[in-house]
Amino acid sequence: MADQNNTDGKGKFYSEILSPSELFAARSRSHKIPVRGQKDFFPDDSDEQKQRLEQSLNEHWSLLSEERVERLGNLVNGQWIPSKQIVELRSPAGKFWQTMGFSANGKQCLLPEEALYLMECGNLQVFHQDLPLSIQDGYEKFLSANTVSLQQYQVFGHLKRLGYVVLRFDPSSESLSYARQLNLPQSRDRAGRQLKRKRSLSPAPSSTPTATCSRAEAQEECSTEKMEEDKCSEGEEDKKLPEPPEAQSSADEGGGRSWWMMDVLGDSDKDSGHGSKSGSSCWDFSSISFPDLGSTSREHFPSDLAPPDPSLLPGDLKVGFCDIAPWRQKINLRQVKMSANEQKREKYRRRWDVNKNREVRRCRNWAEYQELMARRKGKREGRPAHLWNREVTPLHDPTQPIATGELLEKIGVIKPTHLLEGASRLKDAGDWRICFNVYQPNTVADFKKSNPGKPYSRMCVCSFDDPVPDLRAIKLLAYQSGDIPVVIAVVDYGDISFYTFKDFQLPTDVYP
Amino acid sequence: MEALSCGERRLGSEEEYAAPAVGVSLCDSAPLVWRMQDLRAVRAQGLVGALLGSLPRTPRQNGRLGRPLLLLPEEEGLLRERRAAAALPDRCQDWGGAELRQKHEEEEKRSFEEQSVLALEDRKLALLRAMTGAESGATSADEALRRRLQALDQNFTFPQSAMAVQLSTARAGLSYCPEARAFLQAYGPTGAEPRCDARYQVFRDLRGRGFYLTSAGKFGGDFLVYPGDPLRFHAHFIAVCVSLDESVCLLDVLAVARLGSNVKKTVLLCSPGPDARVCYTSLQWSGMI
Repeated sequence: MADQNNTDGKGKFYSEILSPSELFAARSRSHKIPVRGQKDFFPDDSDEQKQRLEQSLNEHWSLLSEERVERLGNLVNGQWIPSKQIVELRSPAGKFWQTMGFSANGKQCLLPEEALYLMECGNLQVFHQDLPLSIQDGYEKFLSANTVSLQQYQVFGHLKRLGYVVLRFDPSSESLSYARQLNLPQSRDRAGRQLKRKRSLSPAPSSTPTATCSRAEAQEECSTEKMEEDKCSEGEEDKKLPEPPEAQSSADEGGGRSWWMMDVLGDSDKDSGHGSKSGSSCWDFSSISFPDLGSTSREHFPSDLAPPDPSLLPGDLKVGFCDIAPWRQKINLRQVKMSANEQKREKYRRRWDVNKNREVRRCRNWAEYQELMARRKGKREGRPAHLWNREVTPLHDPTQPIATGELLEKIGVIKPTHLLEGASRLKDAGDWRICFNVYQPNTVADFKKSNPGKPYSRMCVCSFDDPVPDLRAIKLLAYQSGDIPVVIAVVDYGDISFYTFKDFQLPTDVYP
Repeated sequence: MEALSCGERRLGSEEEYAAPAVGVSLCDSAPLVWRMQDLRAVRAQGLVGALLGSLPRTPRQNGRLGRPLLLLPEEEGLLRERRAAAALPDRCQDWGGAELRQKHEEEEKRSFEEQSVLALEDRKLALLRAMTGAESGATSADEALRRRLQALDQNFTFPQSAMAVQLSTARAGLSYCPEARAFLQAYGPTGAEPRCDARYQVFRDLRGRGFYLTSAGKFGGDFLVYPGDPLRFHAHFIAVCVSLDESVCLLDVLAVARLGSNVKKTVLLCSPGPDARVCYTSLQWSGMI
């Protein structure tokens, strides 16, 4: 009776329209699903099996053919806007408004996947050009590659039916974990708004007051964010400050020292080659007198020093005799009281002449002598030069103390790494994209759309025909997600399987 | 509607399918079946498909799902081959036209009127039951009853918000869309060439032997093979399609055999050979001998 065009009686064959009496009678429907019994193992053509099969099938068809019937007062009225791909509500939203929907232009709106889910739940009736849409229309109009694909909707519906709160993921409105560490004001924007505009990260003025106290954290991760670069450079500037004062502290001493130098130079001008410092020329040390002011023997006890040759002095400078008595007073000229052992050692020490050594005599100049000394030192200390003086040196100096754990780390070939290493350098991962943020069901009571908080996990949807994500894709997804695990929902026609990759450190047996 | 059981019918020729074609709609390029008669027809051909939507009676659970039915690509291919499928028109004619809207409004009004009448009758019945239940038959009671009924007739209102409305699952449930309820002609002269890929060949062969098949992604295989309708029987095999020419890594064979033994199903390696015959190899995990 609902069908106006009764031209073909067969039109009723495919009709799924309920008559008003059927609609009215639907009030007293049961809301329970029959429990499925045990399955049989093998078909054996018995009547019993046939009967059970028929019963199962009838039950199956009756459940599937049952149409949704709702009181008009319980239905929220919505309108599909194809140009914006959203549903605008024309009557006030119900309880679902707590976790779904957004406001735009003073109206309550729903995203297409949310609207379709509510239609399937029997809470919403959507109209398009004043005619009601069927669920089939909803699937065909709301789901597409531009909005939400069928597979993504399957995952969305599955999670919503379990009670989770599922919101769209908007990569631009996600703050870095670093920014959250600093407690910078997060820009909160509903994912649905991504149609309108993208918001940038937290505003600049608030970063300066917190900059000084968090410089230590800035050293850890320098990503490409502008505010972090500022902090890095601030840290470096501070390091530069203490250096200049130090440089100035090395000032020259008083005039006494220069006296000595002049003296020495003055005496050496008797030698012909005094200007050259090359290894080949020798100074005639017999003619150069080095006054031994510490000498205790009376013979070499000069009371004063002769002035240097005036030709060596600059300009019209005139220098007189130098009285060394006050200097000698400063020297400790007391005899050292030594024990018999010490006296013996002292005797040997005085008789020891470095030039008696054959190897030393073979050295032709200071450079060779220094090489000899270095070689001897190396042998003595266990750091032979042939190992340590080349480009490739041993990983560790055995004379240096080091903890076992650190040593193992040093000589280790395979270094432990974590998932996010190098992730910030990666660009777009192509097909792999995070679709949804999932929040736990028990938080529904205090869930606020304006401030949803940290999601429980993030969903990425694919099918079994797609390739398994490679390490690059996983790194990129983990980086986009921050510290929230990424779950990959794999859709297999009717079934959905959830997989996640966990990052963990292998346990070490070594304790420092 | 009889269901096929294992080994009963040998399916092949097209003449068996004189029934009207199954209406298939595309949603995001996936083939979906919406109308109840179409779902029954698909099942009658031994094709199971997968239900995707919420069940109207209990929408907030994942144990039993409702329409639409998603067809595997092999299932759609088989329907095409049998000339048993047709594309459902994707929109109603003159959508948004004033005539349709007027019709719809008239429908709603009529439904409302009928429901009001039914509601009044229902209330009267309830009153009658209450009154006669409370007091035993006395003339004063009859008088009171008549008065109450009269009052009901005068004062009863059936608010608009109490009207029951249908949220149609398929477009066939929309009163203003007769095209959605029509019989369909099968897909045109094309669709006669069967697909050549391994999966389709294996599917076709196994279906022809009377088995029911569903997808087996989470079991690590291509198809789950049931000896009878999946509503009543457990799957016996996990079918993995491999081509005869390609060499299979032993580790893969071990992995899939292990998987199969964990879920108590036999792994079937299926390879389509020449002249449309398929070669089957079953793997069974036996202990060390």
